[in-house]
Amino acid sequence: MAFHDPTAEALQRPAHPDKGRSLWTDARRRFARNRAAMVALVALVLIALFAFFGQLLTEFDGETVDFTLIGVNATQGVPSLETGHYFGTDQEGRDLYARTVQGTRLSLMIGIVGSLVAVVVGTLYGAVSGYLGGRVDGAMMRIVDVLMSIPFMFVLILMLVMFGRSLLMLFIGIGLISWLSMARIARGQTLSIKNKEFVEAAVATGVRPLTIILRHVVPNLAGVVIVYATLLIPEMIIYESFISFLGLGVQEPNTSLGALISRGASQIGNGVPWQLGFPLFFFVVMLFAFFFVGDGLRDAIDPKDR
Amino acid sequence: MLSFILRRLLVAIPTILILIVISFVLMFNAPGGPFNSERPVPAAVMANIEARYGLDQPYVVQVWNYVWNIVAHFDFGPSFKLRDYSVTELILQGFPVTLTYGTWAFAVAVVLGVALGVVAALRHNTWVDYLATGSAIGASVLPNFVLAPVLVLVFTLWLGWLPGGGWNGGQWQYVVLPVVALATTYLAAIARITRSSMLEVLNSNFIRTARAKGLPTHRIVLRHALKPAMLPVLSYLGPAFVAMITGSVVIDVFFSTGGIGQYFVNSALNRDYSVIMGVTILVGVLTILFNLVVDVLYAWIDPKIRL
Repeated sequence: MAFHDPTAEALQRPAHPDKGRSLWTDARRRFARNRAAMVALVALVLIALFAFFGQLLTEFDGETVDFTLIGVNATQGVPSLETGHYFGTDQEGRDLYARTVQGTRLSLMIGIVGSLVAVVVGTLYGAVSGYLGGRVDGAMMRIVDVLMSIPFMFVLILMLVMFGRSLLMLFIGIGLISWLSMARIARGQTLSIKNKEFVEAAVATGVRPLTIILRHVVPNLAGVVIVYATLLIPEMIIYESFISFLGLGVQEPNTSLGALISRGASQIGNGVPWQLGFPLFFFVVMLFAFFFVGDGLRDAIDPKDR
Repeated sequence: MLSFILRRLLVAIPTILILIVISFVLMFNAPGGPFNSERPVPAAVMANIEARYGLDQPYVVQVWNYVWNIVAHFDFGPSFKLRDYSVTELILQGFPVTLTYGTWAFAVAVVLGVALGVVAALRHNTWVDYLATGSAIGASVLPNFVLAPVLVLVFTLWLGWLPGGGWNGGQWQYVVLPVVALATTYLAAIARITRSSMLEVLNSNFIRTARAKGLPTHRIVLRHALKPAMLPVLSYLGPAFVAMITGSVVIDVFFSTGGIGQYFVNSALNRDYSVIMGVTILVGVLTILFNLVVDVLYAWIDPKIRL
């Protein structure tokens, strides 16, 4: 090699045996070793690509009605590569591939937004409650207890009916449900963190409680929070699909996997199994993938038996 | 024990009241009412209607009346849409149906789930274990609104063994599919929880002692291991019960069984507020009571838990 290349040199140098590995490097290695989790991760990436760029592969959009296909769905709307309707068409002659892309995107977004709300609200609430302790903690957790014993699915449906069905309402409602158990978990972790020396040191140097919570407690919650948030995503997706299945969720022409499954299920006797099959496939694979990635993350970040 | 139950009831009552008030406030502030129609109703008629349903009273009086009627007379008020029915009548009509298949599903999920979990734990790391765990994971990503259509597709349309809907007074053929659709997910979850907690218990010292004494396996499992292994399962049963009641909404809609879930969805689509509120409150009360029962059972199984 004619010129000096620091990167190549660094690559060739054997890793120093005494060099400490961070918690996150360790976790990443453990995760990469977990075959099921890696396969699930790949599946998730593929589904995400499908949801956000799948539209580019078809000339149809999910809202245009092809009137020539209405009523002859079972014979003419069959999935085929020749007509370009890869997944067939639905009852209204709309391209099912485009609608599945759209539905997957919405379901994915609902899952991610719901668990983001849980992460932000739940973590802060739990950390504040756990850190302050005493009577404040008691009151804050009692509120969570009360809210938890309310069947929120029903209240959410109540809200959707009262304030009109909109995507925003759905996001708000699902976010409202999601943060409760996250708050409990974050509080439990905070209780053990707040007695550590670094927090004591911060208190001794006169750092304000809010700063301690944000700068010292919350970052140390990250592992547990990430694991739980990943496991929460499929739960949120199921919630949304459940509501959409009942016809109370997203409204036409927008759609979600739950709404598509509901449509497919209602057409079950009409010889159009693809209407149920394709949305169902993406739904099940997506949930499976999230479960396995969540499980893998838990084993990687918070291993009980090393 | 008694004081524990009393204390829990004291917490449960305000929780129920909060639930009622939340639903009432939501309903009161909702835009658009059940009496709004395209043709405007004369003001005098509207006033009469509102007087009939007590909607002309001040806010606080309305909340008070609503709560008082429920507590004192089990009266959830009249249905806004089905003019000849009161909400209580609708609930009394639908609830027995929900209760029938709900109880069956619950029993099936608990009995089979626990049995499956125990067997998987006893045959740890054999094909029995893998099969049980694998199918449990599979079942947990199949929510009942996915499972129900698939079941109908297979057992009604392809095989033609069972009817795909209806209730018919609770004849067994009509109960099977709803029960299976409702129970499967929870069965899987219960099996998973039982398996992992059973594994833990089977490795503990007192089980080793029992084995060393030469007790047969079934006796060890039934007399020694099962009770402590049930603790985590028990704490899952509270949420599972709620989820089953909620899931029954899907069952009622999909199988047209005529339980309370059907009223719930229909009234949600019709803006029949009083029915939605009635069902929400009923389910809320059941939830809270059931959690209480679980807590008491918990304390009974594990005397170490301080009441």
